Amino acid sequence: MFSVTPELYATVSLVSRWLFVFIALLLLLFALLWQRAERRERKERFKNLPGAGTIGELLVLSGSDELPPDTWFPVPREGVLGSLRSCDLVIPCPGVSARHLDFSWQDGTGLLIRPHIGCKVLVDGTPVDRRSASEGVPLLHGSVLQVGTGVLRLQVFAALTPANQAFSQAVPPAPPVQETAFRMPPQGTVQYRDPVPPAWQAPPVPVVPPEMQQSPVPPVPVNAAPPAPLPQNPEMPPEKPARPKRADRWKEDWSE
Amino acid sequence: MNRKQSSPRFRFAFAALLLSALLFLLPAVRSGDRRLYLLAALVPAFMLLCCTVLARLFSLDRMALTLALFLCSLGIAAFAPADPDAAVAQALRCIPGMAALLIGAVLMRSLSTSMLSAVSSAFLGLLMLSAKLLVPAFSVPLAEAGLALLLVSVASLLSGRGSGLALIPGFAALILLLTGGDITLAALWGLTFLLLIFAADGRFLVILSAFCVTVLLFFGYSRLFPSDFHPADTVSLNTLISAGWTGTDILPGELPSAAASLFPRLSLHFGLLFAGLTVLLFLPLSLRGVFIATSSRTRFHAVISMGVSLLPALQALAALLSVFGFLPLPEVCFPFLTSSLPDLCAELFMIGMLCGISARNEADLAEDAHLAMLAK
Repeated sequence: MFSVTPELYATVSLVSRWLFVFIALLLLLFALLWQRAERRERKERFKNLPGAGTIGELLVLSGSDELPPDTWFPVPREGVLGSLRSCDLVIPCPGVSARHLDFSWQDGTGLLIRPHIGCKVLVDGTPVDRRSASEGVPLLHGSVLQVGTGVLRLQVFAALTPANQAFSQAVPPAPPVQETAFRMPPQGTVQYRDPVPPAWQAPPVPVVPPEMQQSPVPPVPVNAAPPAPLPQNPEMPPEKPARPKRADRWKEDWSE
Repeated sequence: MNRKQSSPRFRFAFAALLLSALLFLLPAVRSGDRRLYLLAALVPAFMLLCCTVLARLFSLDRMALTLALFLCSLGIAAFAPADPDAAVAQALRCIPGMAALLIGAVLMRSLSTSMLSAVSSAFLGLLMLSAKLLVPAFSVPLAEAGLALLLVSVASLLSGRGSGLALIPGFAALILLLTGGDITLAALWGLTFLLLIFAADGRFLVILSAFCVTVLLFFGYSRLFPSDFHPADTVSLNTLISAGWTGTDILPGELPSAAASLFPRLSLHFGLLFAGLTVLLFLPLSLRGVFIATSSRTRFHAVISMGVSLLPALQALAALLSVFGFLPLPEVCFPFLTSSLPDLCAELFMIGMLCGISARNEADLAEDAHLAMLAK
């Protein structure tokens, strides 16, 4: 195969050895830059999805001096609740052990909890121990969890509620849209009832004062002609459709 | 990904491919060996194939994959100038390693924390570690593969059952490694295990007790076998410097006998500067592992990816100290720069696990975006 003379090789060797060092240096630099770019990209993604990785939040109804009411914690899909700083959910209340309970989200069931040995847990006022936890006592949206002196309410994201789960798993095909799908009923077929309250019911208190109840804008007749388009200024260029933001583009990509 | 964001990725891949081709071309031009020309074409082509087609097919993490494959190509290049036959053999060893990487990636995408996975992986891992003790004639080094499986077991127990149960396989592995005389791997595993417990549990009492047990085990071993704690017989720093900062052309007969491992070979052929820079490539690999660990949704995956990034990083550090004789331990090979097929497969299997966890993170994020759309 192809080879060069020793004199030429000496020159090629010297140059290429320094070239190797240079490329290795570039390689290290590019690797670090790549890592930085990915980290930034991920941060940007999380900005668009603030609740990513969590299933909802735990709202403190009553806690302690260190945990005032109305504090809320994002709840990850699984983890440990306890008073230790390394726990996923830190509840610094009297009566809460260092590692009080394990929790994990199960789609379609709820947030399953498993108390540690000797740790007392109440779910909606019912005590839960390890044995009953193994049979499955899930926390649902609105369930109240009591650990030590801390009382917390679980609020699950709407998309994770059973109704939306079923929707996301099996989306029924949309019916074909027809122009005549909605028709006004012929006049006289529908009878409207006057909203007269029964005798035992107090008359409703109007929220809007009577002087403001009359709309200042007259109602538009149904068969009115559509408004004429505004005359366009010939000097002005036609309006371009706005370019979607980067965050919106991400959402579109993911939805695909 | 737009062009601005993807440019570091393409630049990195291009530099890695170019360098892996040039490393074979230089000795090929000198000797005119056909095998070296073949390697100069095939090694970058294989890297390109893996980083594009396989990465897309199996949703592998491209950065970890490219770095691991580039380090493997350095292992082949270390043999190339003096021994083209060994270089071809090393290249062939990388093919089963790639298969192990894919197995690791697929396994980690489907594996979740459970008692069954913890017990089965602990059993297999401990069996591999005790193979040398059970059958003394068995010479295949399976320790690193065993540690990869034990990592899965420890992560599963740490995330699901607490640190109490996780201490059992961890210390069993440590005792088996010390009994088998593999003191360097025992030290690496002990350190990794302690750091994992520190990261996953955080209780001072647990960490202190685990630390005390580890120290006691090593202290007992050093009292029983003091002769095992000695620096490795490696190439001295002066020898490596005498080859020049940019290396020199060493013929097969001129290689020092102690330069059997790949890093001294790489330093002698391509220079200390180049070898030092390649060692620094373990830094982005470890950073990538930590990044994947912090992005993981489950504690199980976070602990595994942390362990997978810690083990090679500590091994690289120990190997660097061992090469220059600063560490009173037998010689340690750099990760991926080893001529042992089981070790190479185990290291690539761990990178595969990292890639699998990364793919899972991406899938979770996409699902979150979908749920956010539904909620709207």
